Amino acid sequence: MSSVSAVFVNKRSEISRIAELAEQFGGEHHLSDDDVMAINLVLDELVANIIENAYEDTREHEIHVTLRLEGTELTVRVDDDGRPFDPLQAPPPNLDLPLEERPVGGLGIHLVRSVMDRVEYERREGHNILTMHKTIGRT
Amino acid sequence: MDIFQSTSDSGILTLTASGRLDADTTARFAEVLTGCIDRGDRRIVLDLAGVDYVSSVGLRALIVAAKKQATLGGKIVLSGPQERILKLLEVAGFTSIFTIAPTREQAMEAFG
Repeated sequence: MSSVSAVFVNKRSEISRIAELAEQFGGEHHLSDDDVMAINLVLDELVANIIENAYEDTREHEIHVTLRLEGTELTVRVDDDGRPFDPLQAPPPNLDLPLEERPVGGLGIHLVRSVMDRVEYERREGHNILTMHKTIGRT
Repeated sequence: MDIFQSTSDSGILTLTASGRLDADTTARFAEVLTGCIDRGDRRIVLDLAGVDYVSSVGLRALIVAAKKQATLGGKIVLSGPQERILKLLEVAGFTSIFTIAPTREQAMEAFG
């Protein structure tokens, strides 16, 4: 079992560090490019959403990210102290709508659910905790 | 994110993008794409062969541009996405709202 933890603060400039984290973790564990992209995408979508929407004050907040690999089971955990928000309650987008009726947003959590095998949400002690699992291929 | 523009003899504009289409880079990409639409390019091929990462921010920019282009009677055709980018476009439901061609040449043929 191997894991790495990182702390991001609620500033937009933090987003660029996500790719570095995904690539570093992927390189250390010989993950495929597809799996590195999945990790990058999931963290990109979730952390950006937290930074944009989770906080009602202007204080600095910490967003804790943990990546864990046990055999071929990848677990990604994102923990924030923002207002309660369960992204799994978001309805899936209607992908049958024609272009003119298609909403321009709302794809982020849909992408997260699509690239991961399983996603769980819990609200615990004032924190949103999203835990995601994926069986991965290793090169 | 690098973007190059070229226009064919038949007047089809090709935008060749490479790198990442994410929260950091999409604003510039969208500015170039919207600029082309605003100046009157109605047939646009967006060559994605060199794009190796797209987040929902990038997808949003594509939908916004495609909607604008459609209201003006134009069209954006996507060409050559890498397999994992194509999978993402499929997951996002883009295959029903964009023509996605395997090569730039086939993308240009989509304009008839």
